[in-house]
Amino acid sequence: MAIEKMSLVNIAGLMDELDATLKRCCESGCFHIEPAGNSPDSAMKPLSEKNEYDRPLKDLAQLSTQLGITLKETDFTDCDLSAPQDFNSLFEKYNTPFSELNTKRLELTQRISELGGAVRQIDHLKGMHSDFQQLFSMKYVSVRIGKLPVDNLAKLDYYDENFFFVPFETGKSFCWGMYFVPERDKQRVDDIFRSMYFERIRIPSYVSGDADEALEKLKQTIDADTVENAKLTEQINELATKAEPELQKAFSKLRFIHDTFELRRNAAALNDKFYLKGFIPEKEKDRFDKLFEDMRSVSVVYLPPDADASCEPPTVLKNNFLTRPFTMLVEMYGLPEYKGYNPTAFVAITYTLLFGIMFGDLGQGLLIVLGGLALKKKLGAKISGLVTRLGISSMIFGTLYGSFFGYEELLDPVFESIGLDFLPLKVFKQTNFILITAVAIGVALIIISMILNIYIGFKNKDYEKAIFGCNGIAGLVFYSSVAAGLVETLMFDVKVMSAPFVIFLIVIPLVCIFCRTPFSIAVKYKQWRLSEDEEKMTVGNFIVENFFEMFEFLLSYVSNTMSFLRVGGFVLSHAGMMLVVMTLMEMCSAAAQPLVLVLGNLFVMVMEGMIVAIQIIRLEFYEIFSRFYEGGGKPFEPVGVKFTAQTE
Amino acid sequence: MLDSWSANGTVAKIRYIHGRMFTKENYHEMLMRRTVPEAADYLAHSARYKDAFRDVDPNTVHRGFIEELLQRENFNTYMRLCRFQELDKLPFYDFLIKSKEIECILSMINNINSGLDNSYLNDLPGYVIKHSKVSLLEMSRAESFEQLLKILRNTPYYKILVKIPPLEDGSADYTECELRLRTAYYAELLDTAKHDFSEMQSKQLSEIISREIDCLNIINAYRMKAFFGYSPEEIKKRQIRIKTGTGSVKRLDKYYELESPEDMLEWVKRSKYSKGGKQTSEYIESIVRSSQFCYLSHILSQSTAAPVSLYAFMKLCSTEALNIVHIIEAIRYNADPSAVEKDLIITA
Repeated sequence: MAIEKMSLVNIAGLMDELDATLKRCCESGCFHIEPAGNSPDSAMKPLSEKNEYDRPLKDLAQLSTQLGITLKETDFTDCDLSAPQDFNSLFEKYNTPFSELNTKRLELTQRISELGGAVRQIDHLKGMHSDFQQLFSMKYVSVRIGKLPVDNLAKLDYYDENFFFVPFETGKSFCWGMYFVPERDKQRVDDIFRSMYFERIRIPSYVSGDADEALEKLKQTIDADTVENAKLTEQINELATKAEPELQKAFSKLRFIHDTFELRRNAAALNDKFYLKGFIPEKEKDRFDKLFEDMRSVSVVYLPPDADASCEPPTVLKNNFLTRPFTMLVEMYGLPEYKGYNPTAFVAITYTLLFGIMFGDLGQGLLIVLGGLALKKKLGAKISGLVTRLGISSMIFGTLYGSFFGYEELLDPVFESIGLDFLPLKVFKQTNFILITAVAIGVALIIISMILNIYIGFKNKDYEKAIFGCNGIAGLVFYSSVAAGLVETLMFDVKVMSAPFVIFLIVIPLVCIFCRTPFSIAVKYKQWRLSEDEEKMTVGNFIVENFFEMFEFLLSYVSNTMSFLRVGGFVLSHAGMMLVVMTLMEMCSAAAQPLVLVLGNLFVMVMEGMIVAIQIIRLEFYEIFSRFYEGGGKPFEPVGVKFTAQTE
Repeated sequence: MLDSWSANGTVAKIRYIHGRMFTKENYHEMLMRRTVPEAADYLAHSARYKDAFRDVDPNTVHRGFIEELLQRENFNTYMRLCRFQELDKLPFYDFLIKSKEIECILSMINNINSGLDNSYLNDLPGYVIKHSKVSLLEMSRAESFEQLLKILRNTPYYKILVKIPPLEDGSADYTECELRLRTAYYAELLDTAKHDFSEMQSKQLSEIISREIDCLNIINAYRMKAFFGYSPEEIKKRQIRIKTGTGSVKRLDKYYELESPEDMLEWVKRSKYSKGGKQTSEYIESIVRSSQFCYLSHILSQSTAAPVSLYAFMKLCSTEALNIVHIIEAIRYNADPSAVEKDLIITA
């Protein structure tokens, strides 16, 4: 289990064959493209042509949306369109009739909306029994209908002007009504009302009769317009049904052409030649070569992955069947660099182990396995695989705990018959053992993480990391010595903390960690310097900086170790929760007991299962990964054209 | 005296509403609207003003009415907060009503002096009428300063205004009326704060009010110097001078004596009145008000006393309304959004 070996590929050829080359790169499914010609001193310049398929793509997408067509990937082998003009013609073919119908529909909708507004306003004037036309045709008196903010009603009595206001309906914020004013005073009174934010309601000219009659007429007009509107919508739907097959094919093809054209931006050009570069897995070389055999102008050259300093090789994790589902956890943290270490196997082992310990129950584990297998299609192979493995681990540890859906004594006879006296582990009777074991597991995992860090450090010739760092040899010696010393002294009463032990295994490693930078520089460059950039580091600064860092390191040794107490904590918590379920069950009537048992188990499985899964991710990422692993790798993304209806 | 613990509910409520106030991002989003109806629609859909705009049609609403709705919402919020734990039984909590009453009286004096018909009634905020102890509507019938005094006879404002001698043409001295009314207002606020609340709360209120007076004086003095060329003595005569024990009267005397408006601006930039504000601005109003905004926001976040929180909160609400009105006017007159954004009173 490592990282897939990659090859840097340079493809060159005549411009005429660029599109065909890109198409084959897409079809290969293993070509990770890198932008070519980005180097300022390169004679080749990146292609930056305007994509002529942009406009038709947006037009077709917009038209389809307006026609209510949901665009989906469709086979377009029998679609003859290819040039931008072809797609423009297709767009015009359906857009012209659609626009005509849609304009009419919009006008009608607008009218219905306006009339609806008038209905809502006139609704407030229901108490008015005068004919609108009579009111508006008065010669010497003007009438204004509308709404006035309630706060301003009180002011009306204090104006000396010649008008009177008739309220019809008063709401929380507005009072609907009308005011009458002599024609000669109209201007002044209108100004007054405007200053009080009186909002006039414009009654359509064809409305006659009193408020009730006007309402009736307006509603009739709205009904007629709504029927007409429905007819137009039906005609548009018919047009959409007719156009859909053609639009689906055309859009799928246009999307493909458009996106392939977009890939040209990754190519560089010089005169009539193009140049592409990217990475492929080394094992795909032969298959990739064969793809270009019939293209005479195209040459494919393979180079070592680090041949081009301007691009980093992408990372593909190589994992076996058992560990593959755990790749997603590593990807979640960040892929390792191409020359880094693939930690998936380590994660797979530790995650499965910890989950089993923290969530051990034979019955519940079995359900998790079955659930993982049953939901394979829905959850995807990775999640299903992960769940299944965790379920098996839960079953194994559940057997050791003798726990089956919360029944803690069910497996006792089995162990008795085999003759294993120390099994099953009785969680509540062996609390100390469980907690100490949890911490011991933590110490072991931290030590393994440090060993991995030392291995990676030597591999990358990073001596500060491998020898002198807090997770290097110095850190390992210090941490394991302190751990061993404490265990011997506190648990076995053996006094190992002698002066030589303290000096050689604790003090000297601490000094190494404190002076890790100058020591590593001394090993690497045979020079004595306080930091790589000596000018910026004085002795005082060095001491202060490293004192605080040392403090942090020591604190992290303690906190990371103690953090593993949660492993034991969850063993107790799981048993405790199941005890609650069993107690609740016993409190219920015989008929309700199965229901309580099922619901209780489901609740514990879902809630605790999720919490445990999250807690282990936390342990992996903070306590383990932080000691040896650095993400920062680039994911391998084979170039391809994926269908999407989005155009932005 | 109300126990400070008993008003904790009000403080919590204030903080809740404060959390819904417009932020820099909200102002920015609003500024991106191209028409007044769009801006009104934005307000109508905001958590802060959706209730105030519930019955309003954003397409037809007048921008003047938007301003009134904002002010009304702030006033109603203040009334609700005062009633929530019956705080309004204490005279201090009338501070906003009294402030509105003074604005109305000054508007009426202006109306009488300029002979404008109805302008007082038009501008009178309807939402204050029923909460005021002064007959604000009755005041509209006054045709002269004497008649106004008659209407105000049984109010505390009578004693203040009756001492002001009329100008040569018989009209009321508006500037003097404003100065005396505002001086009396702040003096009464400080006095009631001292009597109604604990020593600590009273001290905090005194600091806030004192700083508010200073800010008003600073801006007014600058305007007098820059636009009317007043001498230091003339400026001093027209300032609110209340001794609050903070030493600000003496401090500001030095400011009034500065020779040029540029010196005054520099003085302000170096003083506490620009702290946290837009110190790089060229406008004294922008510097002082943004600093004041920052100061009040800090007070609101720190204080657990209801009167302090409420007073600071209402001032912040008023600033928010000013900002929104500024934005709406900018949209109406197609002003450059980035320039308007710079002028908004927010923390720097």
